Amino acid sequence: MRNVRNHFDLIVAGAGIAGITSAAAAASRGLKVALVSTGPGSFVLGAGCVEVQNTDQGLHLLDESMNFFRNLTTLAGCSFRGGIDEIRYVPTILGSFQTVSFAPFSIWNGAPEAAAQVAVVGFKGLSSFDANFVAERLAYHAAKLGKGSTYIAREIELSREEDTVAGTLQFGNRFDRDLSFRQELLAALKPIAAKASLIIMPGIFGLKSGQDKIEALESELGCLLCELPTLPPSIPGMRLFNRLEAYLRCSGVEFFTGFPIQKLEIENAHFTGVLLDAPARPLRLTADSVVLATGPFSSKLLGTSSFSVNSDLRPMESSGALIAGNLYAAGAILRNSSARGGNAMAILTGYASGMLAAGVGVQYAQR
Amino acid sequence: MRKDDLSLDNCLKCSDCNTACPVVTAHPAYPGPKRLGPELERMRREGIECDTEWVEYCLGCHRCDLACPNEVNVSELIARAKATHRKPPIRKMRDWWFARPGLLGKLLTIAPAVGNFALGLKPVRLLMSAIMRITPERKFPAYMNGQMQAPKAATGERVLFFPGCYIKYNEPELGCHVIQLLQLNGFSPEVASTGCCGVPSLANGDAAEAHKRAEANVNSMIEAVESGARIVTACSSCGHMIKTGFADVLEDNPELAHKAARIAAATFDLAELLESQQDIGKFNSNFAPAASNRKLAYHAPCHQKSQGIGRPWYNLLRQIPGVEIEDLNAGCCGMSGTYGFKQEKYPVSMAVGQELFAGIRASAPEVVVTECATCQMQIEHGTGVKAVHPVDILLNAYKTEVRSHQPL
Repeated sequence: MRNVRNHFDLIVAGAGIAGITSAAAAASRGLKVALVSTGPGSFVLGAGCVEVQNTDQGLHLLDESMNFFRNLTTLAGCSFRGGIDEIRYVPTILGSFQTVSFAPFSIWNGAPEAAAQVAVVGFKGLSSFDANFVAERLAYHAAKLGKGSTYIAREIELSREEDTVAGTLQFGNRFDRDLSFRQELLAALKPIAAKASLIIMPGIFGLKSGQDKIEALESELGCLLCELPTLPPSIPGMRLFNRLEAYLRCSGVEFFTGFPIQKLEIENAHFTGVLLDAPARPLRLTADSVVLATGPFSSKLLGTSSFSVNSDLRPMESSGALIAGNLYAAGAILRNSSARGGNAMAILTGYASGMLAAGVGVQYAQR
Repeated sequence: MRKDDLSLDNCLKCSDCNTACPVVTAHPAYPGPKRLGPELERMRREGIECDTEWVEYCLGCHRCDLACPNEVNVSELIARAKATHRKPPIRKMRDWWFARPGLLGKLLTIAPAVGNFALGLKPVRLLMSAIMRITPERKFPAYMNGQMQAPKAATGERVLFFPGCYIKYNEPELGCHVIQLLQLNGFSPEVASTGCCGVPSLANGDAAEAHKRAEANVNSMIEAVESGARIVTACSSCGHMIKTGFADVLEDNPELAHKAARIAAATFDLAELLESQQDIGKFNSNFAPAASNRKLAYHAPCHQKSQGIGRPWYNLLRQIPGVEIEDLNAGCCGMSGTYGFKQEKYPVSMAVGQELFAGIRASAPEVVVTECATCQMQIEHGTGVKAVHPVDILLNAYKTEVRSHQPL
């Protein structure tokens, strides 16, 4: 049957950081892309920080793919900062520093060199964040790194709806929806900002808000803001996901959310389509090519527990034969092929797979 | 679709469902799908008393199910808890009626003028608020008597149109438009003699009534399906129920459940059906450039998203020359059928709708298009912008001579 409406140039499976980047790269080259997913990948757990130092493959594409991703986040209103040669120490909720090369601007802000006077602000009643603990540990680690910043702990009280406990999800949702909540937050932080040049606090700056709202808060306070992801859901991570998703929708990417892939249709080493496990009967989408960015536990879709990829990210059977000539893999599913590298690898392989599917002659691995 | 017993242990507590829940977003006191679904279900299965009124506040939008990366049937777990929840007598009585829109429709269409007049009177609405806990803020949709006739066409694939309560009792004219649209696209439609689909019964925690409705509907449609006819719906909630609900509700009776699955597999949303005609080159696109309603905003109802069919109405309307259509993608409207009429839930319903209302205001369309009747009510109530069913827009788009060739 001719499948007009549900035929795409490319199907990307998976809406984690690799799938999103792949769909964005292909769409930027004019491809008609479908993004098929169940859940927002690891965005719900983290903040999207990128460390490039562990990357061991595709290094010649690193700069290009990171630039692409940085531009993408800027267009989507959730800017990343950084560069592949940078190593920056940003704080974590455990009071340690993690090294990153790229991070959302609101986390990039948190490096000890950014400010001398740092206030770590907790919220009354929020059990998952202890400002005293974080401040004490950050002071210790900053000193060990030879940075001169000082850390003080502060607590503010934010109004809550009746019968609720303090939670970052509640505060995040209210930040998005409620101007009076943002004003309340501003008023509570103002006295602290008067004596600090950086405020570190649990991430509550909305699940959908653009960076303009956070920057507006910063400029009113006259002080940098750094947010830390707390227990799931990670508010900074979900914001990143929601912003990128909204941007991709506007760019014409078609989303099919909530229905797992039942089957990849592969005939004679050629991918033809996917069957999604929709109610009543499967939904069949067809495409000229497919990118599998379905995460670390998904290689069963390929009918194998381990596989290797060739120089342009196409999975091969142990005999060396391609599983399908128009099938690419990106992101954490590549762990099954011994690649490493977390978000850096996800962005790198996401970008490369999207470009390869668009017929742009990049090579992931140099042979 | 959702594999029940396995799925409870599939919950990793990642909280994706909570970020997707419209009630959590708008009303922080709500414990959220993770808590009310899998977490409390573990205790319920151990026989530990944990009944809570909050299960009543679930909209049944299924957004949690779609957000879950691990195929947990979150909303179904909440729906089951809802069915065993103990309610105070007044709400029990009110919800008994809300669970039976078919019965309400039959009664009110005996003398619709009287019923509509009475329901429109402020004192009556205040009385209903005091006695039945039905919000006086909303107007009931008008009830009307009307016949939907589908003259037998000599040719064309036979399809059975499942009208649902709203079309049957409130907007039979829309049903006529559905029939006309089907005929224009080469089908030979018949109107099914079916009752309420049972979504309102489930939403009001009345599992027994939902069972009755599902059984009656399955028995009424199975013959047509077995003889090769497809079922078509124009209401997203009816479509959702036939596709996902019948087999679940009837699982105690394997024979009926099997029939329900056959019916589900043969059921299509009207736009889904028209798109399938397009795939085989049989879609009638004899459109005239749109003279009015050129700037549209589309709202996808939750029970449309839960069907996993893409967004066929949006794709069809986009093809009308001169029409500009924006997919609002601004979440749940908050109405959820009878939910928004309930006095204690009215504020939550309106709070949920805020994002959609803001999206509509920003888009400033001539009309909003959505295929769910109660979404339409909520949109008009929350924004004052007219909301219509996409059938009306699509039918109007055909050239006059094309429309007038039809036997209707």
